[in-house]
Amino acid sequence: MIDPVAVNDIMAAAIAGALIIMFGATYALLFAFSRLRGQRLLMIGAYLAYGLLAVSVAVLARTLNLEGFWQSVTAVMLVGYFVAPRLIWNLCAGTHPPHGDDNPGTHPNPHSASGGTMQ
Amino acid sequence: MSTTPWWASEDLWRKWAIWITAFMLVILIFLTFDSVAKITAGSDRVPGYDVINKRIYYTFNAERNMEEPVIGGDAPLFGKMYTPEEAEALVTLGKLTTQAKNCMNCHTLLGNGAYYAPDLTKAWLDQGWGAESVREQLMVSFLMDPTANARTYGTGRRMPQLGITEEEARGVVAFLKWMSAIDTNGFPKGFKPIQQEAMP
Amino acid sequence: MSIGTFDSSNLDAGQKVAVKYFSVAIVLFVAQILFGLLAGIQFIAPDFLYNVLDFNVNRMVHINAMIVWMLFGFIGSVYWLVEDESGVPLVGAKLANLNFWIFTTAVVVVVLVYLFVQVGPGTQSSIWLINEGREYIEAPRWADIGIVVCMLIFFYNVAATFMKGKWSGISGVLVLDLVALAGLYLAGMFFTANISMDQYWWWWVIHLWVEATWEVLVGCIMAWGLMKTLGARRKIVTTWLYIEVALMFGSGILGLGHHYFWIGTPEYWFTIGGFFSALEPIPLVAMVVHAVYDSGVHRFRNGNHPALAWLIAHAFGNFFGAGVWGFMHTLPQINLYTHGTQWTASHGHLAFFGAYATIIIAVMYLAVQKWRGGVWMSGDMPGNGWKWKWSFALLNIGVVGMTVALLIAGYEQSFIERALEGSTWAGYFAGQTQPWFIQGMEWRMLFGWVTAAGIVLLVWDLATIGRGETRTAINPAVSGEPATAAA
Repeated sequence: MIDPVAVNDIMAAAIAGALIIMFGATYALLFAFSRLRGQRLLMIGAYLAYGLLAVSVAVLARTLNLEGFWQSVTAVMLVGYFVAPRLIWNLCAGTHPPHGDDNPGTHPNPHSASGGTMQ
Repeated sequence: MSTTPWWASEDLWRKWAIWITAFMLVILIFLTFDSVAKITAGSDRVPGYDVINKRIYYTFNAERNMEEPVIGGDAPLFGKMYTPEEAEALVTLGKLTTQAKNCMNCHTLLGNGAYYAPDLTKAWLDQGWGAESVREQLMVSFLMDPTANARTYGTGRRMPQLGITEEEARGVVAFLKWMSAIDTNGFPKGFKPIQQEAMP
Repeated sequence: MSIGTFDSSNLDAGQKVAVKYFSVAIVLFVAQILFGLLAGIQFIAPDFLYNVLDFNVNRMVHINAMIVWMLFGFIGSVYWLVEDESGVPLVGAKLANLNFWIFTTAVVVVVLVYLFVQVGPGTQSSIWLINEGREYIEAPRWADIGIVVCMLIFFYNVAATFMKGKWSGISGVLVLDLVALAGLYLAGMFFTANISMDQYWWWWVIHLWVEATWEVLVGCIMAWGLMKTLGARRKIVTTWLYIEVALMFGSGILGLGHHYFWIGTPEYWFTIGGFFSALEPIPLVAMVVHAVYDSGVHRFRNGNHPALAWLIAHAFGNFFGAGVWGFMHTLPQINLYTHGTQWTASHGHLAFFGAYATIIIAVMYLAVQKWRGGVWMSGDMPGNGWKWKWSFALLNIGVVGMTVALLIAGYEQSFIERALEGSTWAGYFAGQTQPWFIQGMEWRMLFGWVTAAGIVLLVWDLATIGRGETRTAINPAVSGEPATAAA
């Protein structure tokens, strides 16, 4: 069963849906750059973006009346957006051989003085 | 490559790709068998074509939290009661006509199509036809000469002349009546149907 | 081998066929935009071409031209890489040429019938000969069969070439994906009076094409392209192609459920469609990490600036068009209001352009570069490359502008028609006559003209870029080697 969005919440729901994806990407972006360049400040930004994502998920869940089964959808979003970028990062590191030419962790990165401290 | 951890190996992901795809496909096929049975004409959700002999109502089902169709008493179409075979033939002619006249590139059916003209899912029950008694004839006249009978509601958009014959127009009306009895899970939202004889 | 002119001796046999497909694709792309303009004008001035070239005809050509030009673009791309990837000459070069001409002739006949016959009587013969009246797959049945035959010949050519030469992970995925792509088309080739059944199988074709098999096809082309343009390693690229297939099919196949909310199908599709719709954008978003990782590995020293720009547009376009614009209205609680309104048009414009048009244009730039003998296409082009830069800007601004305008119109439409007026025809028209809707359509038109200006420049640029150029391109696979660049 679904409980459709209330008329006056249509816009809020749509914007929340869009922001989930946007903040999801911002989190992924900052997370990746933080790992790549070894900058902790960026990681704070990443978690901030994730926090905003969580707020957007909450707004979406509220406006779309996500109850019962639909709470699992909320959970999928909260967990999925948090975990997936980390998994992809690990896969990136795993698929690029650690002593090869392709590894950003072993090569000084022109953007970063620290040279990147992966993992 | 020996340095690649097992969980990032090409081999493992090839297997994952195959197994995940196969698994999802099997589920989809299983669900398709079930859904196809449930949307075959004559099922609970998609009525048989002879529903064109009946009056179609909508009532709110609180448990499902949506409007759902209710099949009422006899309401002959064009003053005639059709056998199941005749009804299917007429609806088939109507469906063929909607395809041959490319209705879907202006209208939506079940919400799919183009957005230049109104949705046809519940066109049969639309208030725009005024009274129940004149609806059928209005629809046929409109389909046969949409220019002269234009209903533009102030948009200036008129349906073009598509050379629809009277027989085809009747088929289209039968098709629309049948379609309006499909259980669409409450789509379109909050539909308010035409005034009909009270539900028995 | 000559440089600076279109010389087919610069191309292998597969690539000679590919440039033919690309040429027709561009013509159809122009047709798509031209008929889009006509349809857009009719929203503002409904009497325009009334009973001559009506909205349904214009819109049909608009979306059908798009499907076919993209298919031609994909076929061209596959022919482009097949010899390189297999290591042997194309098995049936003559067959491929013959096939191209048959396919193109059929497309021309279909379009002429669309334009000059338009509609037929309500009989099976209309569906067989004129048009099938089903959105996106309007082609009449004879053409459907022709398309399948042409796809099979194409498939034979590609598969046989790989069989004769060597297989790779990329070619394996590619060939299987082509089987699925052609096979799915069969799901759209039957008539039924039952509109629910009709739509059920119609979505198999449409969704499983654009949200599954097309995505994977693009993934294969990208994988090959990354090796060629950035010198990425085969093993890594192949692993990632598998990862992408797993994620894409894992979420996309049952993502089909979000089209089964309102067509008569059972309520369990709410659950499945809702769940997988929430899942679908996650890989898309997570892949941002991969892009960042790679950009840290490969310094962008690229030998084809227009192609790279279009690849970046692809990444952004796919993210916004499919991800943001899709998820915004995909859950059934909101989709009940937005399904079948201009929201869908908004999403459709950005997603098709962002995910597919962009990458095919990128491949076309790579093709033109090689066709002209591997000419310089980096910075410092004559006129500072103004044509490609302006066409890039105009096309992107045009499509994004149309998308935003349609979204505003869509929001207004769902609000007035669905929420306030109870989804009646009077409600529909009340929505269509509101100032916000009308202005939305006017802005869409304006951005339509911007898009049209962009395509004119694009065609001009593709025809002239690198003409008379004497410098050869940077080979990034060699000179842009990460180790060298990073040192």
